[in-house]
Amino acid sequence: MTTTLYLLRRVLQALAVVLIVTIVVFCLLHALPGGPARGVLGVSATPAQIAAFNQAQGLDQPLPVQYVRFLGRLLTGDLGTSYTLNEPVGQLIVERLPKTLVLTGISAVLGLVIAIPVGMWQAARRNGAVDYAATALAFVFYSTPAFFLGLVLIIVFSQQLPWLPSQAPGGNTLAEVFQDPAGLVLPVVTGALAMIAVFSRYMRASTLENLQEDYVRTARAGGASTSAILRRHVFRNSLTPVIAMLGYYLPVLFGGALVTEQLFNYPGMGLLFWNAAQSSDYPTLLGCVLVISIATVVGTLLADVAQSLIDPRVKASRA
Amino acid sequence: MSKPRRWALLTGAAIAVSALLAGCSGGGNASSGSGSDEINYALPANFTPNWILPIGTAAHLNTNNGSIAQSLYEPLVAYDGSTGKIAWNKAGSVATDAEFAEDGTSVTMTLGDRHWSDGEPITSRDVEFWFNLIKANKDQWGSYSEGKAPDNWTSFEAVDDTHFTITFDKAYNPDWMLANQLSHIIPLPQHAWDKTSASAEVTDADRSTAGAKQVWKVLNTAAGKIADYASDDLWKTISGPYGVESFSTAGRVTLTANPEYDGGEEAGIGTVNLLPFTSADAEVNAVRSGEVDYGYINATDMDQESSFTQKGYEVEPWTGWAITYMPYNFNNPDMGAVFEQLYARQAVQMSIDQESLAKVVFNGTATPTFGPVPQAQESDYVSDVQRDNPYPFSTKKAKQLLTSHGWTMQGDTMVCTDPGTSGSQCGEGVAEGTEFTMQVLSQSGSTVTDNMMSAIQSSLAKTGIGFTIKTAPVSSVLSQTPTCTSDEASCDWDLSFFGTAGSWYFPAYPTGESLFQTAGSANFGSYSNEEVDALIDATTTSTDPTKVQDYSAALAEDLPVIWLPSPDYQISVVKQGLTGFDQDSLANFHPAQWKWSK
Repeated sequence: MTTTLYLLRRVLQALAVVLIVTIVVFCLLHALPGGPARGVLGVSATPAQIAAFNQAQGLDQPLPVQYVRFLGRLLTGDLGTSYTLNEPVGQLIVERLPKTLVLTGISAVLGLVIAIPVGMWQAARRNGAVDYAATALAFVFYSTPAFFLGLVLIIVFSQQLPWLPSQAPGGNTLAEVFQDPAGLVLPVVTGALAMIAVFSRYMRASTLENLQEDYVRTARAGGASTSAILRRHVFRNSLTPVIAMLGYYLPVLFGGALVTEQLFNYPGMGLLFWNAAQSSDYPTLLGCVLVISIATVVGTLLADVAQSLIDPRVKASRA
Repeated sequence: MSKPRRWALLTGAAIAVSALLAGCSGGGNASSGSGSDEINYALPANFTPNWILPIGTAAHLNTNNGSIAQSLYEPLVAYDGSTGKIAWNKAGSVATDAEFAEDGTSVTMTLGDRHWSDGEPITSRDVEFWFNLIKANKDQWGSYSEGKAPDNWTSFEAVDDTHFTITFDKAYNPDWMLANQLSHIIPLPQHAWDKTSASAEVTDADRSTAGAKQVWKVLNTAAGKIADYASDDLWKTISGPYGVESFSTAGRVTLTANPEYDGGEEAGIGTVNLLPFTSADAEVNAVRSGEVDYGYINATDMDQESSFTQKGYEVEPWTGWAITYMPYNFNNPDMGAVFEQLYARQAVQMSIDQESLAKVVFNGTATPTFGPVPQAQESDYVSDVQRDNPYPFSTKKAKQLLTSHGWTMQGDTMVCTDPGTSGSQCGEGVAEGTEFTMQVLSQSGSTVTDNMMSAIQSSLAKTGIGFTIKTAPVSSVLSQTPTCTSDEASCDWDLSFFGTAGSWYFPAYPTGESLFQTAGSANFGSYSNEEVDALIDATTTSTDPTKVQDYSAALAEDLPVIWLPSPDYQISVVKQGLTGFDQDSLANFHPAQWKWSK
């Protein structure tokens, strides 16, 4: 199968998955008892106001009709208007998604830049003092809940040593976010530490596995130094499982880090999704689900493609 | 790499990181403090301001949006708690006088000599504009309740530019009419807003129903564009002490003093920053870091009160004009008949130790409430019966009450063993073998609420009443516990709790037509009592002030719901030096009253 055909097939599969996800979520939402009107309008809403809300939102129509209307609007790029935030859902996503990508993206890049060499270093010096120390630290950060880690950072760097603000930048655009880089430090570090803990373990395990391979023994027999073997041969091969993991991490990048956003007062996608679920804000929930499901299938696709580029054996297995 | 070189690199990296941290410091929201002309106010967690038009749908007209709108557009009658007691705050009102006809069927109001920010006078025509818009669009107005304003206002007549008369459909209690009905009116700039499209000329379109509907649509459409609040000329004509400097769709709002304001509540601080927070924890962190001048803490933080005072804050609980309760579902097919028995409701109420809940679970930040009138504030509306708690906590007496009405303890639960309608039997509709067990669908997300429910479960168990707890987000609780009839599938709920922040906030005059009148819009449990209905009617129509007390006493005794402690609206932390205001128990904030002491 050619790469183009393979990609075409995967894209069609992805579209089908996204469609199925929207149907399932749509049905689940509307299966909830009571509907959203009372929750949105509040305790004091009258039956007439609830009926007017249901009519205005089309919630008085049969479920298939509502879904077809949703799809029809979707084709024109209209995701509806948030019940609670008084803004088009598309606009909300356009505002929140870049902020989330900045926060989670910087955390991921920082985490990887540190985790990959640390993992390789540990593997190269396995069972040494450095390996034990790094492993212990990784376990500490891996097992520490993000909210606690963030809280500790806030207490130390915002309250005890007032070097950094306890809140992430409050701006609504990327330009405003970058005007306050200090505000990004603590949330980025919180996210990156967890990332380092996870990916350094993967990289260590993957490197150790590769160091046992025949080609490493052959290279050693040929007189190559350990650092040369690591750089030229093991590094690339060890990345394969890490890249697969990164593909699965993409939805997290898009979906936002709820805990970090809550703790550092940074309204991103995670919080948008969470609040929409809490307040029965159906249009916003569906919009978020759409973004996250697209990110999931794209992430998986990218991981597969990247793996096949790095590792010819993967490409061969698809042929 | 040699060792010295490696150490040099590490040292360099450490210096670079330190320099970065040092260079980064100072970002974020710097707190203002005494001597400043700016203040940072923390909005409630998870609230994003999204409306400034003082008229709109129920989804938009919440308390905090209302407080922002009232800073821009001063109400006709500001009837609130901003002066330390719930009363007409004339300094913050456009009207200066209200004269009711002796027969209670009309009111003539006088406007002050006031001007819009563009220099035009505020006249009776601006009030008529509001009146016409609301009359024509009442179904979409968030404050509308059938039979109340504007249904009970039959005509509006402008006497002259500063006097007008509103006629009612019958005689009303003037206090109730002023506090709960006329207080809705907010004069709107007719000379700038009376347009049937965004580009149309200003006319008298509001004087026809069709025209008023078009104007409503134009205004509401414009109000939907949050990003334009600071730039759209529509929002430049204001009557309040502040105007919008910026209004971010992310929720941050900056208000600046209106230099043309000529009312009695001139802004005490030039710039007011209203800050949104994604969670209460994020807000408390900002308080601890000194980034907020007027914020809040959790009830569970009261143990660390001194840590906030050491940081320069005063901790000031903000009580709400509210009650907190759990409605019974009287139409539940299984338990409805039990709930109908007054002795059963008495046994439940006597099993709840409000004093201990308020003291221990709420850390002293809640007030025991024994009836339908708020008790956190001194008021003439509370009856002696309610104040004195007709059903003090005693699981022993509660148990006796049940056993003397045909119930027997079997295992850990009371079971009806003597059905029938005589005074010593279980009561009408209660079948033999009925177990006294109830399930509450309770609001999730609050440790304090979870602890309160567990404590109630424990004390009800001592009486032999089974109590199971199910939790859901508040929107789900409200959706899943609707008013229902016993044949509906949705009527399977026993008890509902949506009062983590107080179940019901009253307008100034605490009557119960929505809550406890038969078919009241928020009478979720379908409580019905003809005598109470008559008393509620009397509170709105009679000029006798004791009628509210009669209503208070009747419901304290009849227990239409389970009365619970009412939590404070907010545990405020206020920077030392911020003075000049009382916290409004109607839960509004009034930035114009805030001042920094020199």
